[in-house]
Amino acid sequence: MDFSKRRHPGFALLAWAIAWGAMVTLEGRLDLANLAMGLVLASALSALWLPGWSSMLISAVAVLAFNWFFIPPKFTFTVDLHQNVLLLAALLLVNWIIAVLVIRQRHLTDEARNLATREARLRQWGDTLRDASDPVAHASALRSALQEATGNQVIVSVLHSLGQPMRDGTPVMVGEPDDQQRSGLVLCERDGRAIGAGSGRYDQLDDVYLPLRGRGITLGAALITGLKRHPDSEKLRSHLQALCDQMGSALHRSLMAAQEQQAREQAQLQATRNALLAAISHDYRTPLATIMGAASALQEQGDRLDINQRQRLAAGIVEESERLARLADNTLQLARLDAPGVSLRCDWESTEEIVGAVLRRVRSRPDGNRVGVWVEPHLPLLWCDAILISQLLENLLDNALKYSPSDLPVTLHARGDNGAVVLAVSDQGPGIAPAWQEKVFEAFQRGDTGPRALRASGDRGAGVGLAVCRAIARAHHGCILLRSREEGGSIFECRLPLRGQGQLPPPTIPPETDQ
Amino acid sequence: MSLRVLLVEDDRLLRSSLRDALSVEGYDIRTAASLADARAQSQNALPGDLIDLVLLDLGLPDGDGQALLTELRRSSQIPVIVISAREAEGQKIRMLDEGADDYLVKPFGIGELLARMRVALRRRGHASEPALLHYQHGPLAVDLRLRRVRLGNQDVHLTPTEYALLARLVRQAGQVVTHRQLLTDVWGPEHTEQTHYLRLYMGQLRAKLETDSADPQHLLTEPGVGYRLAEPDVIC
Repeated sequence: MDFSKRRHPGFALLAWAIAWGAMVTLEGRLDLANLAMGLVLASALSALWLPGWSSMLISAVAVLAFNWFFIPPKFTFTVDLHQNVLLLAALLLVNWIIAVLVIRQRHLTDEARNLATREARLRQWGDTLRDASDPVAHASALRSALQEATGNQVIVSVLHSLGQPMRDGTPVMVGEPDDQQRSGLVLCERDGRAIGAGSGRYDQLDDVYLPLRGRGITLGAALITGLKRHPDSEKLRSHLQALCDQMGSALHRSLMAAQEQQAREQAQLQATRNALLAAISHDYRTPLATIMGAASALQEQGDRLDINQRQRLAAGIVEESERLARLADNTLQLARLDAPGVSLRCDWESTEEIVGAVLRRVRSRPDGNRVGVWVEPHLPLLWCDAILISQLLENLLDNALKYSPSDLPVTLHARGDNGAVVLAVSDQGPGIAPAWQEKVFEAFQRGDTGPRALRASGDRGAGVGLAVCRAIARAHHGCILLRSREEGGSIFECRLPLRGQGQLPPPTIPPETDQ
Repeated sequence: MSLRVLLVEDDRLLRSSLRDALSVEGYDIRTAASLADARAQSQNALPGDLIDLVLLDLGLPDGDGQALLTELRRSSQIPVIVISAREAEGQKIRMLDEGADDYLVKPFGIGELLARMRVALRRRGHASEPALLHYQHGPLAVDLRLRRVRLGNQDVHLTPTEYALLARLVRQAGQVVTHRQLLTDVWGPEHTEQTHYLRLYMGQLRAKLETDSADPQHLLTEPGVGYRLAEPDVIC
């Protein structure tokens, strides 16, 4: 039975009333010692329902009253017989012993219950910490846990944000501290020791500042106002500190995890970058070798070469310089698209126009006339970055021209397909083994930095070109894939959603009549 | 008398090779390696020794080529061709909108440069006269006086907007005209963002004027920048 929670002075009153009623009724029929039993009984019962001290007081009053009403001479506090003095003293003593026992019992029960609540709270708090992920959520959760534990106003300050070690030094603050409280929090965070009531430092304070301690590091502090006035503040303080330390180690854990993650990413990024640089320098070397050879021949043997030979060398230089320029564009674009938060210069573009512009550039190359195009009439406008899409097409055509025999055609088809534009470049070259169909795009993708992939793509010479194509397609929420043609050769198919960024279609334009 | 060209370029090798190449073509080349140098040469020229065309690199050691363009445009209509690096996409368009005649992206071939210079200088020659009135390129002929467009022996019927667009391109034939310029001049300054108008009407024009609209010969697209009507065969 839970006594302390159900303190019903009414029941106690009732018990006394019944006892006095019985004693008055039975007076004369029972002797004095038996009558006194009613008093003992009532006192014991009332102790169950009354606070300890008042129950002792009431017992004392009741004994005096018993003396007044029942012990001869009646209606005086004088006692004639010695044995009656003994009776009164025994009565008082028994009543008080009962009251003290009840008080102690109550105290023990309270303590056990408090302990259970605190344990439950610690457990629940541990669960909360596991679920929450950002420091503000942690901090406000800690604040509510502390407030629930004490019933007092609480301010929590978390010094290190999760995921990144604090750089700016601004703590995440939950609650509104005044200047003094703020400096208390800062001091507590800095020293990693409690301050205020009962802590041994600044004991005169009503409030207490508790550090949020991780392993060898303090990650914040909590201020619990008015803890000194709290009954049982000493035990409560260690409970609160346990809550705070749980928070501290949770913060520390996620801080470590974030740092580890960061280090891992950094290492991976570095590996990717190295692979990319190695591949790019390989790609640059081939055209540079041609240019160097031709230019030095012109420089050193120019007067011994005939006009045709000089012309051929110069043409080689021009052609390879153009290749280098495209390579530089691709490298630049790859770096740009790889950066976080890349912004495209999108507009409503006509596929036909982009294809036309690319075709004009490609056809100006020595074997560019092999390229044939077909664009589906009346394709809807495409929301895209025209410069990037031209670059994508040029890379695909470039690739097809390079890897197919120079007497066979290369074709570019553009068609609409269910809310997307499909750009397909097909050649009649030797094709690409199925095992490589995914990898030709992937040489420079994050994580695939093995020397095998690098060498293979280097040998094919696809280099940055196709990696850029994929980056461009993805930046437009599209995709690119490679298929083998049944009749031999490969098809690179790029699929771009018409409204890649969820853009609304442009308003229709009213038609015009002819002049 | 040979035409005087001011070449503003800070890279020594590019500067000297361009100077050689252009001198061979009969141009009188002055070079400047910085903004200050270019300013001095363009401002202090004697009346009989005025510059006819400026080739302007954007990234100069003492500032941006754009500043020089702004100063030049305040006082003259001297043709300016911008030489830009690939990274400066946005700036390129801004320069064109602010009055540059054309642009070239590095690296470029000398043939391309000569063609752009030819067009720019020709326009300058006509600056005081009415704009180009007759355009001929292959089978396509446009007569602005008679408002007549012919393809081979056949008249082509254009809507008023199609015609306005074509006429605007004819006035600057051989040079790139930005989306903004076209939209402002054909639809009005409040429509400079409506590029989809351009896509639609350029598509209609290609359908009417080109043999294969996916491989246009007259109406050329400069992706992300604007349109260019192919350089005319002859000037009438």
